[in-house]
Amino acid sequence: MNTIISIKGLSVSYERKRVLTNIFLEIEAGKLHGVVGPNGAGKSTLFKAILGLIDADAGKITFEGEEIEDVRKKVVYVPQKDDVDWNFPATVFDIVLMGRFPYRKFYQRLTREDKKIAMDALVDVGMDGFKDRQIGELSGGQQQRVFLARALCQEATVFLLDEPFVGVDVTTENKIIEILKRLANEGKTLLVVHHDLSKVHEYFDRIILLNQRLIAYGDTNSAFTEENIAKAYGGQLTILHKT
Amino acid sequence: MELLEAFQQDWAIRALLASSMVGVMCGVLGCFIVLRNMALIGDALSHAVLPGVVFAFIIVGSYSVLGIFIGAVIAGLLSAVAMTWIQQKIKTKNDAAIGIVFTAMFSIGVIGISRLSKEEGAHLDMKDFLFGNALGVSNEDLYLTAFVCIVVLYSILFFYRHLFATTFQPIIARTMGMKVELIHYFLMLLLSFAVVASLSTVGVILVVAMLITPAATALLLSDRLKNVLFLSAVFGLMAAIMGLVLAIYQDTAPGPAMVLVATLLYIGAVFFSPKKGLLFKFLAKRKQQHKIRLEDILKQSIRLEEKEALTLQNLVDKLDINKRKVKSGLNILAQRGLFEKNLSPLKLSSIGKKEAYKLVRAHRLWETYLTQQMGLNEGQIHEDAEKYEHLLTEEVLDEMDEKLGYPTIDPHGSPIPPKE
Repeated sequence: MNTIISIKGLSVSYERKRVLTNIFLEIEAGKLHGVVGPNGAGKSTLFKAILGLIDADAGKITFEGEEIEDVRKKVVYVPQKDDVDWNFPATVFDIVLMGRFPYRKFYQRLTREDKKIAMDALVDVGMDGFKDRQIGELSGGQQQRVFLARALCQEATVFLLDEPFVGVDVTTENKIIEILKRLANEGKTLLVVHHDLSKVHEYFDRIILLNQRLIAYGDTNSAFTEENIAKAYGGQLTILHKT
Repeated sequence: MELLEAFQQDWAIRALLASSMVGVMCGVLGCFIVLRNMALIGDALSHAVLPGVVFAFIIVGSYSVLGIFIGAVIAGLLSAVAMTWIQQKIKTKNDAAIGIVFTAMFSIGVIGISRLSKEEGAHLDMKDFLFGNALGVSNEDLYLTAFVCIVVLYSILFFYRHLFATTFQPIIARTMGMKVELIHYFLMLLLSFAVVASLSTVGVILVVAMLITPAATALLLSDRLKNVLFLSAVFGLMAAIMGLVLAIYQDTAPGPAMVLVATLLYIGAVFFSPKKGLLFKFLAKRKQQHKIRLEDILKQSIRLEEKEALTLQNLVDKLDINKRKVKSGLNILAQRGLFEKNLSPLKLSSIGKKEAYKLVRAHRLWETYLTQQMGLNEGQIHEDAEKYEHLLTEEVLDEMDEKLGYPTIDPHGSPIPPKE
């Protein structure tokens, strides 16, 4: 197995409340991973720890032996849609171009090449017709596609997407999963926080089942079992089975 | 002609140059202050530089522009660090932390000044610091303002991408490897610079207006950051020049005059902004109401034609609109070919019938949707459908129709007209 992210003994707490306890994970490169677990299971926290956005109580995370600060460019994050100021004076193209910022020093200008890569990313997600729209004028699905385009534009090798399918239309969901699968085929590693358990088998190669502790990690077929789901969801399971 | 004479004097030219630079610099910098929700910090920082000014005066022993600049910037940065530290480490609310720090700093400054004014020889006028004295700008003041203006504008140009990214999505900026904290303090430094450079023209109390009012005005008028920065600079410049001219002409304080001009520009934008202005919204609403009235006439006409008799009086009774408005509505509809010409007898044309059936379809489909999909009962749906029949587009209706399995009868038992 070709490990890209190695997590050893990760524990995180907020205000003395444990959110993640002693996680060991060797994440395989070139696979589309679903990160699944009940509310408060620590899925977003796991992402923030991987991205070095929060201080862990214990543990070490490395990317093929390197620290996050040394591989920033290659690890891209698509956060949940809700904490964005949609009135911000920025167009779709402005947002996608942000993906090129890590490639240029502050005194360098963005090149024509950068703009071409951004434009290609917009075409890829089917949003090239909306290039000059202000971001607040888009639908939820379109906004999500723009953020995916920015991630594509950054040409990363690791993608972390937090609930990309929440509040988007069916067309967008299909488009996004199509792109994610293609990226995995190209050898990129993708981690996707996901809620809809019915789609797990269809969408993901591998699954990370989480509830403060790591419940299971492995191929979707072998790890996403009734038994493991019950372990992760406990009492919440009955409610979830209905959907 | 008094004004022309005034602007041949050195002091007036110095005032004009200094104010213009302050207007442009504050306008551009202010956009980031407003977008980062830092208006209160801007206000706080401007007050907090006062003790720096006083200490510089004590240490240097006389009025020195450079001394005051350095003292004020140090005081400003110290306050910025203190505010951020309290916000992050102590459980005090953010705005409370800002309030505590800047009032404390300001008080130290005020006490310092009142002590100084009791001593012989020293001269530091409190009023000049509070409200500025553009007409008394010295050459040194002017050089300092020019230097600061260049530094601030160049910094923003240089770090534009960093400022854009950290302002829009600080977390993403961090995952891209940008030093978000460093940018924050850098902006605080620029803010301190701008405040000190504005001391002599608008003073500590009013500088915040030069930072936020032109920026807020520009944000109402454009939704592209580069245009917003440019417009804000223009409004800052306009406020500075027009304010100064007004002040000289009326023989009043320049700082407040500039602020009032900036405020008037803002009020203008509030009303007349093409997209976000009140006037635009009012007109759009009027237009929508007009459209709804015409559609209501159309819909009632088809009902009357089918059930009773389509006469003007019947229409007026059913619609609850006065006769004059119904008449003018009918005239407009006739002009558009939706009614037979001459309007006597009243009769819908074939296009008119088509349009009317569209509305009836929208109304009844929506009612069906509400009962079948939302579980509302018959009594709850009519009012809602009266509203939505005017808003639903054809595409949405077709999709609803399909989802509902092409119903032919609405919840009240009336037939739903098919498409076309």
